[in-house]
Amino acid sequence: MDPQSVKNFDTLYKDHADLIYRFAYRLCGEPEAAKDLVQETFLNAYRGFDKFRGDAQISTWLYTIASRACLRMRRKRKGAPERELSLEEFIPTSDGEFRLQIPIDGLSPEAALHNKQLRAALDAAINQLPKKYKTVLVLRDMEGVSAREVGSIMGLNERAVKSRLHRARLFVRRHLSARSLGEPLIDHNHDSRG
Amino acid sequence: MAQRSASKPKRQASTTRRPHTHGKSRCLRILRQLSAYIDDELSTNICQEIRQHLGACPNCETFVMSLRQTVSLCRHSPAPTLSTADRALMREKILKTASSR
Repeated sequence: MDPQSVKNFDTLYKDHADLIYRFAYRLCGEPEAAKDLVQETFLNAYRGFDKFRGDAQISTWLYTIASRACLRMRRKRKGAPERELSLEEFIPTSDGEFRLQIPIDGLSPEAALHNKQLRAALDAAINQLPKKYKTVLVLRDMEGVSAREVGSIMGLNERAVKSRLHRARLFVRRHLSARSLGEPLIDHNHDSRG
Repeated sequence: MAQRSASKPKRQASTTRRPHTHGKSRCLRILRQLSAYIDDELSTNICQEIRQHLGACPNCETFVMSLRQTVSLCRHSPAPTLSTADRALMREKILKTASSR
């Protein structure tokens, strides 16, 4: 192997392995599949580094490679075909559905996420999203990537990105709501006086 | 990355139950735009229209608050980390595979 290529690879890997692992973990939902995806991503990046033209951020390029690799890995597993989320299925049909609330009792999101039940419910809701909606939600709301960049990564226009994002958020909201979770999530200490 | 509105102080849902007096179609029109609203992507006029509606509609006020909370939880979800040992092991595997093909 060319020592300069290895050196370039090491710089790329050192700077972005954590980023891509985080993304991969959030996409795959478990560590071993995430590690496979990271390896596939950096292997493809190593081979294609001379094709990187520098007209996008390196992180955007790596996210693109990872998203495509994830899609290939999913096709190999031949899971059930992805379903579309229609906006209509999230439209409340009763006052009760409108009023579904996330049981965080006025806590900050950081404090609320100390609750294992809520965190598990959030992870489960995200993992139940069809992949194309999940990828948009993970990139936009968890990785903080702009809608334009998400479009570039996924080969979509911004309008399509925003449409998928809205549906993904509505899906997660519904799964996180007090009704979906059953009992209120109160295992933290707080003043319960009314 | 632009500062997003979900991190702004949030409106608390009214604890008093105001009656829902208008037709649902207005609510549905608002609900379709809520992600754009909480991401600050709408024009001033539309934002104002939505704020007026939220002020008069307890159902939509609760809905938008729960959607904001959902987005906020996603944004603050803990990031998984890669151990030093795993990072090094994966590097070796990648380079080994790259040199063998």
